[in-house]
Amino acid sequence: MDPKLINDCVHCGFCLPTCPTYVLWGEEMDSPRGRIHLMSQHVEGTPMTPEMAGHFDACLGCMACVTACPSGVQYDRLIEQTRVEVEREHERPPQERAVRGIVFNLFPYPRRLRLLRPTLGLTGRMAPFLARVNPSLGAMAGLAPRVERRQRLPRVVRARGERRAVVGMLLGCVQREFFPQVNAATARVLAMEGCDVVIPPGQGCCGALSVHSGLEAQAKRLARRTVRTFEKAGVDTVVVNAAGCGSSMKEYATLLGYDPGFRVMDLSEFLAELGPVATRHPLPRTVAYHDACHLAHAQGVRSQPRQLLSGIPELELREIPESAICCGSAGTYNLLQPEAARDLGDRKAKAVESTGAQLLVSANPGCTMQIAAAMRRAGADIRVAHTAEVLDASLRGAAL
Amino acid sequence: MEELTAALHSLLPEDLVITDPVRLRTYECDGLTYHRATPGVVVLPETAEQVARVVRLCNDFGVPFVARGSGTGLSGGALPREDGVLIVTAKMRRILDIDLDNRRAVVEPGVTNLAITEAVRDQGYYYAPDPSSQQVCSIGGNVAENSGGAHCLKYGFTVNHVEACEIVTPDGDLVTLDRMDPGYDLLGAFIGSEGTLGIATKITVRLSRAPEAVTTVLAAFESLEQGGEAVSAIIGAGIVPAAIEMMDALSIEAAEAAVACGYPAGAGAVLVVELDGPAAEVERQFTRLEEICSAAFELRVAAGPAERAAIWKGRKSAFAAVGRISPAYIVQDGVVPRTSLPAVLAAIDRLSAEHGIRVANVFHAGDGNLHPLVLFDDAEPGAGERAEVVSGAILDLCIEHGGSITGEHGVGVDKSRYMPKMFGVDDLDTMQLVRCAFDPRGLSNPGKVFPTPRLCGEVPGVRKGVHPLVESGKAEQF
Amino acid sequence: MTLTGIGVTVRQAGPDDAVGGVLPRWVALPESVEEIAALLRACAEQDLAVVPVGGGTKLHWGAPPERCDVLLDMCCMNAVLEHAAGDLVVRVQAGATMDALAAELAGKGQELALDVPSGAGSTVGGTLAAGLPGPRAFRFGTARDLLIGITVVLADGTVARSGGKVVKNVAGYDLGKLFAGSYGSLGVIAEAVFRLHPLPAERRWVVAEPALDEVPAIALALAASQAEPSAVEVDRPDPDGPLVLAALVEGTAAEARARALRDVVGGGEVIGQPPSWWGRVPSGEVLAEVRFPPTATGAVLDAAAGAGTALRGSPVAGRLLLATDGQLAVSALRKTVEDAGGRVVVLATPDSGVDRWGQISGLALMRRVKERFDPGRRMSPGRFVGGI
Repeated sequence: MDPKLINDCVHCGFCLPTCPTYVLWGEEMDSPRGRIHLMSQHVEGTPMTPEMAGHFDACLGCMACVTACPSGVQYDRLIEQTRVEVEREHERPPQERAVRGIVFNLFPYPRRLRLLRPTLGLTGRMAPFLARVNPSLGAMAGLAPRVERRQRLPRVVRARGERRAVVGMLLGCVQREFFPQVNAATARVLAMEGCDVVIPPGQGCCGALSVHSGLEAQAKRLARRTVRTFEKAGVDTVVVNAAGCGSSMKEYATLLGYDPGFRVMDLSEFLAELGPVATRHPLPRTVAYHDACHLAHAQGVRSQPRQLLSGIPELELREIPESAICCGSAGTYNLLQPEAARDLGDRKAKAVESTGAQLLVSANPGCTMQIAAAMRRAGADIRVAHTAEVLDASLRGAAL
Repeated sequence: MEELTAALHSLLPEDLVITDPVRLRTYECDGLTYHRATPGVVVLPETAEQVARVVRLCNDFGVPFVARGSGTGLSGGALPREDGVLIVTAKMRRILDIDLDNRRAVVEPGVTNLAITEAVRDQGYYYAPDPSSQQVCSIGGNVAENSGGAHCLKYGFTVNHVEACEIVTPDGDLVTLDRMDPGYDLLGAFIGSEGTLGIATKITVRLSRAPEAVTTVLAAFESLEQGGEAVSAIIGAGIVPAAIEMMDALSIEAAEAAVACGYPAGAGAVLVVELDGPAAEVERQFTRLEEICSAAFELRVAAGPAERAAIWKGRKSAFAAVGRISPAYIVQDGVVPRTSLPAVLAAIDRLSAEHGIRVANVFHAGDGNLHPLVLFDDAEPGAGERAEVVSGAILDLCIEHGGSITGEHGVGVDKSRYMPKMFGVDDLDTMQLVRCAFDPRGLSNPGKVFPTPRLCGEVPGVRKGVHPLVESGKAEQF
Repeated sequence: MTLTGIGVTVRQAGPDDAVGGVLPRWVALPESVEEIAALLRACAEQDLAVVPVGGGTKLHWGAPPERCDVLLDMCCMNAVLEHAAGDLVVRVQAGATMDALAAELAGKGQELALDVPSGAGSTVGGTLAAGLPGPRAFRFGTARDLLIGITVVLADGTVARSGGKVVKNVAGYDLGKLFAGSYGSLGVIAEAVFRLHPLPAERRWVVAEPALDEVPAIALALAASQAEPSAVEVDRPDPDGPLVLAALVEGTAAEARARALRDVVGGGEVIGQPPSWWGRVPSGEVLAEVRFPPTATGAVLDAAAGAGTALRGSPVAGRLLLATDGQLAVSALRKTVEDAGGRVVVLATPDSGVDRWGQISGLALMRRVKERFDPGRRMSPGRFVGGI
């Protein structure tokens, strides 16, 4: 933990109302300002007590505080450094170790996830039982989505019409295995907007989950592999449709200490910059757009997806109250801190419901899974879609 | 303390009492980090009744207590006591009632200032006081500090917008102070008493109707003097804008670095002037304003809410933004009569040059409330001390010009030593009478606001001459 | 007992100097803060009770004092000490009349936005101590909202001040708040500092005679209007007669805004002068002030009609004065008004058996304040709430 970064904090408290855990509990040590204070205590020699580690673990890493901070405190870097420290110094109780073991040996590995797919129907039914055994296991089971048919994407999807760009595309782990239709839509939208889409087959996890959980070695290993894959593919832009992956990949230079040789852009960011050419067909829907933290706060991408959605004829875009507050998904947070995640999910579900929208759109699979689950709990089902799917439907003139 | 903690545990659910030393330390200061003290114990009550019970317990044990809202105060008003209880109202944040016909809302003290406005904005109402920290500061804290904000030039302070408060008195009674009640205006006395007369547990605020028109103007001047002249001319023309804010070159630089507010480059000063009211009035005032600001090299008018927010963003983030251009700083909050602004600013310039300490100026020019940001590098030996000297000298300047040592941040622990410079012994002793009426045992936020040790003897009356504690060597008068 | 030799002009009291029927022995006429202090010290030494008085226009308000030895007449302290026009601030001695102050301020195009009827002889100190809101309190607040600094002299002669000469100031307790509306029971108000407003370019009144049952809705609509009336008042001199409603608009575009308000009212005329009753206290032996949430306007109007009183005041600010020369059934009125969320205070009455104040949640604290400021109960004893 870099004391210089800690000293940037002037204790003004502007981060408090944007912090999901502070919103939930109203306690200083579960606010960014309080956590930075804990970091400084640790730097000054206070050992990493279980209480201290608990408050760091409770941070969702949503980075809303980074957006809110007028002093420019790099809380994102601070909490990442802190998580490494927690992993190094804090002995977790056995049950917690077991759960973390499952999460970190499963999600960053698409092939292992694939093995899980056939069992999803069963785990969904077992969720109540699992929740009694361990809340985290219950949460995992409760969130499991209904999986669409797998769609294998080719190595290259050629541009429709005049070619305007060549881009690489990241498939992601959870996205690829649980939301293959999002990747298919992404590739189609890019192609229809005149892009050759290069999809290297050997790509694995980008390392985001590990970075956000303090598993530095695993993160570096996965990042290096991803860099090699896309360098080999020879693209200078990699388009990412999962907010969590995109934000980590944008930080590769810091993580690895060298420049990866390509630029990373979120799908909406890229499309907004490229400008539309394909015809948009009307989609008469009311849509609530949810800001994924790793898109809005970590990447600062807020206006572009709204701009893209608003560009669809007859589509009515509605703002969700408290849009800056995290939904509680936050990568693996909903698996590791299920109670807090659930409370935040319920809060978000209420906010989404208040918009009266028919469709919830977000750029992150974790968010949509989390919010949809919360809305199901409240008995208010809502259809969810990725920005790419909405655009795809409009471009193709298909129904959603 | 241990006995008290045990008693607190039997009084409140376990998770509302904090005793872990690592956790306690995160409450060691509010927005003023210069003073720190780890509280003996922290409680996070969820109801007024719980607050009252904790306060009664403090009375039983003779232990002092300090209330804290969001901990954003800039005078150390919520600095805890190591031998006391810190009562944090952050969990009491329900909006209990909104009554638009009667233009009021009833809220718990932990509700943030901005949350009230957000709850009624769509219906065309707002809560007028708007401290820069409005998205985080709590209404309970606003009541304690009598918070102002940029728009208090026209609309007044917290005290002008609170209709009633339910308070827990320093001896633990729940009492409602209502403007509607006959009798002494205890509500007026309570608001701004910085937690020394009790804790507000329920607040009825007045809601204001949103003005028909709002015009926000950013005027860039080459020098601070030109900006100051424009301010005098605006007031002289009989215009009462909702706000007149001024920033100097250094604070513009900081705000630019922090939030890229896009203020005109090369400005020696910018004025943010907001006119609001009926459209016809605002239109005419704006025509006058344009004439008055003819010396400005750029005049920008916000076209809509987004541009208005962009203009305000630079101003509202100015304090914390200074963290970008200086490792450490002291914010001051002095007030001078508006007509003394030019003289005082020139004197601050001289002080700054003399001590080699940069001073950035952000201020509510309309009401003469200065927020000089005294910048220094805490790694440089002696810099902190020099900054303190400059900071203190600025307050002396304010008093010299018939002003005040604090316009809105409060006296707290930070400026109590300046109180005897602004007030005489008799003035302070008379204020102490109010304190003794509310808090004869001196348990409610002791050591704040007033520099002298309090003593509310059995025989009421004004103390004269040397304080007995001072005489016996048990205390010292600053 | 004597008050000679302390350097303060003192004369023997005459029958005209009685306060609520209690005749003082002396009338003191101090000419400076120091003289007030000297006088009060002398009174403290001899345990003499003191009632301060300004223009005497409201001296019959409140309960008669338990005792009154000295009437402290502020008439000689009538200077406007400092009008800092550029700062929109004035410092004035408490004995100055509101008329004299207004004339001085008007010379520089400014005003103190407290509505006191002109020609009445009310003083700054008396206006503060009685704390009666005027029509424009709806927009500008009451005396306590415009007072930014105060110098007071306590029962033992201590001279204390709080606040200052700047509008924005949170240093120390605000003694001005406590003394405003304190009926002289905490000490003597010697000097006051006020924030000022520029005189409006134009003033227009919309005057109409709406049906009684429409008044509550009209009042709510006026209060919510973005044409921003400075005041909305109603007057009903005869409890069975018609009600006149008048709304004041101030500013450069007053005429246009007044027409907009006329549409809200649903008729009426726009005039450039106030109605004759505007801002005046209705006359009657018995005078009561009713405060209420604006939505209770209907209930309060009904209650006033039921009580058979004249009424005048602001439905938007939730404040009406009821006046009658007959009997006022206070407890019945109070019950109705309190049920509607309001309060009744009997400001003046010849009937000594009346509960003038009603229930007050903070009374115990108020007693403690009184005990600290005036432990010997020598300042206007018995005049104020709970016999304070």
